[in-house]
Amino acid sequence: MAIKKLVGQVTPEEKNEIQTLFERRNGLNELAKILTADNADLYEKLVKDMGETGSKFQDWWDRMAEKYQWESAENGNWEINFDTCDIYLVTA
Amino acid sequence: MLQYLVILLDKTSTSFCHYKAPSNSPKEGRTLIPLETLRQGIRFGMMENLMIQYVYPDHELPEEYQEVLESIDHSKIKPYGQEDADVLVVDGFQQVKATVPVVLRVTKKELFAHQAEVAEMLADVPRLNVVLTDVETFTEADFEAYKECLTRLAANVERLYVDGKSPQLNLLTDRMMLSQMNNCGAGDTTITLAPNGKFYVCPAFYYENEADSIGDLEHGLDIKNKQLYKLEYAPICRHCDAWQCKRCIWLNRKTTLEVNTPSHEQCVVAHLERNASKELLQNIRKHGTFLPEQEEIKEIDYLDPFDKRDTWQ
Amino acid sequence: MVNKKESLVYEAAGQWKDGAAKNITFIVTKDCQLACKYCYLVGKNTKERMSWDVAKRSIDYILDHKEYFSEESVIWDFIGGEPFLEIDLIDKICDYLKMEMFRRNHHWFNSYRFSFSTNGINYHTDKVQNFIKKNAGHVSIGITIDGTKRKHDLNRIWKTKEGFSPKPEEEKGSYEDVVKNIPLWLEQFPNGGTKVTISSADIPFIKESVLHLYSLGIHEVNINVVFEDVWKDGDDKLFEEQLMQLADAIIDNKYYLGNTCSFFSDSIGKPLDKDLDNRNWCGAGRMLSIDAAGNFYPCTRFAAYSLRSKKPIIIGNVKDGINKNLLRPFLTLDRTTQSPQECIDCEVASGCAWCQGENYDAADTSTVYQRATAICKMHKARVRANNYYWNKLYRKLEMEGQREEFEKNKKKSNDVIC
Repeated sequence: MAIKKLVGQVTPEEKNEIQTLFERRNGLNELAKILTADNADLYEKLVKDMGETGSKFQDWWDRMAEKYQWESAENGNWEINFDTCDIYLVTA
Repeated sequence: MLQYLVILLDKTSTSFCHYKAPSNSPKEGRTLIPLETLRQGIRFGMMENLMIQYVYPDHELPEEYQEVLESIDHSKIKPYGQEDADVLVVDGFQQVKATVPVVLRVTKKELFAHQAEVAEMLADVPRLNVVLTDVETFTEADFEAYKECLTRLAANVERLYVDGKSPQLNLLTDRMMLSQMNNCGAGDTTITLAPNGKFYVCPAFYYENEADSIGDLEHGLDIKNKQLYKLEYAPICRHCDAWQCKRCIWLNRKTTLEVNTPSHEQCVVAHLERNASKELLQNIRKHGTFLPEQEEIKEIDYLDPFDKRDTWQ
Repeated sequence: MVNKKESLVYEAAGQWKDGAAKNITFIVTKDCQLACKYCYLVGKNTKERMSWDVAKRSIDYILDHKEYFSEESVIWDFIGGEPFLEIDLIDKICDYLKMEMFRRNHHWFNSYRFSFSTNGINYHTDKVQNFIKKNAGHVSIGITIDGTKRKHDLNRIWKTKEGFSPKPEEEKGSYEDVVKNIPLWLEQFPNGGTKVTISSADIPFIKESVLHLYSLGIHEVNINVVFEDVWKDGDDKLFEEQLMQLADAIIDNKYYLGNTCSFFSDSIGKPLDKDLDNRNWCGAGRMLSIDAAGNFYPCTRFAAYSLRSKKPIIIGNVKDGINKNLLRPFLTLDRTTQSPQECIDCEVASGCAWCQGENYDAADTSTVYQRATAICKMHKARVRANNYYWNKLYRKLEMEGQREEFEKNKKKSNDVIC
């Protein structure tokens, strides 16, 4: 059973930033299911955007981890609750 | 509170406002108000303490009407050309002279084309009420043209004041004199009796749909949701200081489907007039003391109060 | 090594972004398998189905006019009749929306939902399931189940094969056809809420129905009494008794932990300041509904099929766009201008809802500025029971030393009214 431990919190502005990226990544993933390479221009735009959004995503977690120095664990995940801005460490 | 009763003496009585009345040809249905209906209407007006305004058609009334018409104190709104009027109505542009107030019903195109002649008329009539018959069609370009037109008219008004005259042009001078809303009052202070013996919010409601009455002489008045004709129940207007605006209930309903809500076009037109009045007041005051008891009209940053609705609460 | 992950707390679309998102509704069909007795859609039919052309032109118009649709987020809402009868069209619409929002770099691509309110009958079908999987991160679905079988089947009955309301002796309830899909729905939407509608005949079943829904695993029960003038003498007393019994059951069995019932809210039943609390209740005019003919409405309730006695209010269409003058009355509506003095002075005014469409439909003149007050006595009964609920619950929590903890974690109940 997964154990979830509250390890910190981000500001609402920081939460908004990751939530927008999260929404965009979801949107891109769902768009990828219906776009094919036939639609060359849009497909190219999508691939580029997925790369950029992924990088921004990673960058957010790196910046926040650096800023807040959250507790971490081997094979653990950090999770954010968009309602509360809380950061959890989830371990198996 | 009800104060005025407009009585249409015929179905083809002249329009003195935004609406179009049926033409005066016998074909289009001249329908004179029955004498008994007129008597009852006058009686109603007496019992309710209402000031009566007769609206005349462009044809002679039978002799026997005169005595009945004169049985109560009243004012007469007549088509231009008729005698013994308290208000004369000119339908479509025509340069006229008169000793009583004149209502000039024109389209925007006519006004823009004849603005110089309209300015000249100011010296020839005690009061000029310009009624634009197509307010609801104004575009952004029309607003610009109207603003320019008002500026030119204001220059004439200013010149007349400097010359010691007191011209009255509803579009420009009313707002300078007012300290609160002074609207048409249809459904609130004024109702209309039509030749069919039924009451209407105003003549336009009668012409648009005869079934849209608010009572009749037999059963009395029955104004449903009558609060909606009052300023306090008009969310946009109660926040507005374009006090000269007619706040036309009929145009409201025609353009927004609600009697208490004006269209964007009606609001902008009224605010262009308000702002031109503001400039005019300031300019006249440069020549000496003028309306000392009146406050300056404030500078505002909108032409449609609707755009400021987020600041109301 | 720490992996990074985010959890999205799924919400009912109505609450999403605290109700600040633009709600755009496609009335994809006016057909439904059911003939619910309380349904306000008086003009349902099998003919008016939205075409792809109308849907596409609507989307193009909306996405072309960002100046009219400046909200940060959007809820693309699909209703009927029963929306899932048109799942092929919906799928095509959603695919087009995703592509177009992305292609046009529209800000809504970062913040959108596809929302459905369904009778649940077709929920399990392959087409609906494939659609859900394809759009998993953006779909919000509410299934309407009214409570126990007898309560549900009292109103939510199948229409006849010929498409009419059945004779009383031929009525067939839809409970079994819906409840079989609830586990699958809850598996996919664990926080899914349901909407329960109460009319006069339903009052005796309120308590059992809410408790039954909790037992099915539905933790959020959004429930309201209909706004129409259907209430009989004594209904308020019966209603109050049902709510008192429900209050006792929720508190005694600790259902308040993890469940909500929108009848109970600690913010209702207070006087409202005529200046400071003057906002309109209803969102009509801030939403946009589109029907099969490509007409735009301020809310679905203003479409012809929803109205008993008034003409529809059409604020534009896909060809000519929105007539902004027709939106002005809706966007300037406030509470006091449309309320009778009795409501303005009411000491238990907060939480008393209204539906702009029903106000219009029931008004003495053609106006949205006359508030219908048919629910007055029902609201007052609700307030009395609600006061009882919170007084009893808070006292219990205080005695148990748990009030602070409860208040911290309390889920906001959702006054969904239409």
